Amino acid sequence: MAHEIIAATNAVVVLDVALPGIVWGWIITMNMWAKSIGTGIIFVAFYLLKKYPEQTGFIRLPSVVISIVFIHLFLFFTVIDLHQMFRFWHIFFHPHMTSMITIGAWLATGFVGIILAMAYFLYMKKDEAMYDKLLSYGVVLAVPVTLYTAGLMAQSTARELWQMPTESIQMMLAAFLAGSATMILVGGNKFSDPIKKDLGLILGFSALTAFLMYMTELIFGPMKAEEVIATLEFVKGGEYTVMFWIGQFMAFLIPMGLVYKSIKDKSYYLLKIAAVSALIGLWISKHVWLVIPQLLNMS
Amino acid sequence: MQLGFLVDLRLCMGCKGCEIACKVENEVPLSTWRLRVKYVDVGSFPETKRTFTPLRCNHCANAPCERICPVSALHYIENGIVNIDKERCIGCAGCVMACPYGAIYIDPQTQTADKCTYCAHRIASAMMPSCVVACPVEANIFGDLDDPMSNISKYIEEHQGNIQVRKPEKGTDPHHYYVGGGNVTLNPLASIREEGFNLFNNLTHLPVGGHH
Repeated sequence: MAHEIIAATNAVVVLDVALPGIVWGWIITMNMWAKSIGTGIIFVAFYLLKKYPEQTGFIRLPSVVISIVFIHLFLFFTVIDLHQMFRFWHIFFHPHMTSMITIGAWLATGFVGIILAMAYFLYMKKDEAMYDKLLSYGVVLAVPVTLYTAGLMAQSTARELWQMPTESIQMMLAAFLAGSATMILVGGNKFSDPIKKDLGLILGFSALTAFLMYMTELIFGPMKAEEVIATLEFVKGGEYTVMFWIGQFMAFLIPMGLVYKSIKDKSYYLLKIAAVSALIGLWISKHVWLVIPQLLNMS
Repeated sequence: MQLGFLVDLRLCMGCKGCEIACKVENEVPLSTWRLRVKYVDVGSFPETKRTFTPLRCNHCANAPCERICPVSALHYIENGIVNIDKERCIGCAGCVMACPYGAIYIDPQTQTADKCTYCAHRIASAMMPSCVVACPVEANIFGDLDDPMSNISKYIEEHQGNIQVRKPEKGTDPHHYYVGGGNVTLNPLASIREEGFNLFNNLTHLPVGGHH
């Protein structure tokens, strides 16, 4: 409708303050990307340890170490993005529980406690049974930790592009994609072919589903709201078009193709290339989707 | 008590007196605004006209900024104003992302969120907001929406059928109304913005979000 109004009125803003600008930039992209790896590796480790307990015992330590490193990276980027980072403690001492930022902070803290305990029991106590028990709790908590950012995006009422449940599914798919890609890189040739095939399938199907979601949003999103039309113009010939498609190819299309070829040829060396491509592409895809709604004029 | 604002756009002449008064009263730093007036030119020469729209926080009853704030820095006070506690704000910018009206910014001096508070400090001293005082044509009408005898309530009653709010589809229930508004003035997507067609072009803007 807005296009018709412009055509009918020839309305031109001749004086206003250009408020739009990127407030949540690459630091928040790093936040989401690191969290995808930190929780995703736990999901995939849980799956492998349940399905192939005899062959995958060696992944316990690297999985929890990677999770600890990347969840702390996620927390680091969360804190440094605050304009008043030394007031971070306010979230715990003045919590406002309607905010997904608060809920996420509490959930992430609980998750950090579990993965630290897993590392402690595995490394210090050599207690794999306790590790596996804690891993079960960790998987349960990893789900809301993965999802809360989607809730935060949904609470960003001004950004019509970010809708629930789309973003929550995208967050889960990002975690599976990043988790499987990281596990492929960690496990290397220590995994048997059936495990490699499983990891390839998780990577491939996550990539396929996420790609389909992006494409359906690209096609059908504009049918729902004018703001979505205006937002998606930034990736439909606008300034973020090239970056968007580089992200889509690297995160989803190239990994899908390489996974298909690997499974077809029963030759899994290509999976590592698919994994690297997926991890780089995921960052780019998330960044574009984070930035473009912020370029829209709110007034 | 539920305080609210109404701007009669038919009266507003774009003098920006409200904008300057707000800047001075609240010591709003360079490159940021609690209140600003948007000019939109409509039509083709020689049939053209210029519209003026003061824009400020809408003090929504269902405020997305209040909901998303993790530390209750943005909070309601008893007269319905959505106020901000800058000492508590952690500068996460969630409110900037949530506000559909672009009314919140990160203050480059304090590195915290800031916005129009309807001059809550003046109201506490039984004074009108500075923008109301500065308006030479009384286009800004401020008062208690719960009081049927207040100026704003009477104005709304007199102009029923010609009262608008910005972005009603967002469900925020704004306590900021306009008389004589329309798509061109209130819908940001209903007008184009082109560099070179502004009254001031090639402006240098300070980074959004202060010096982060």
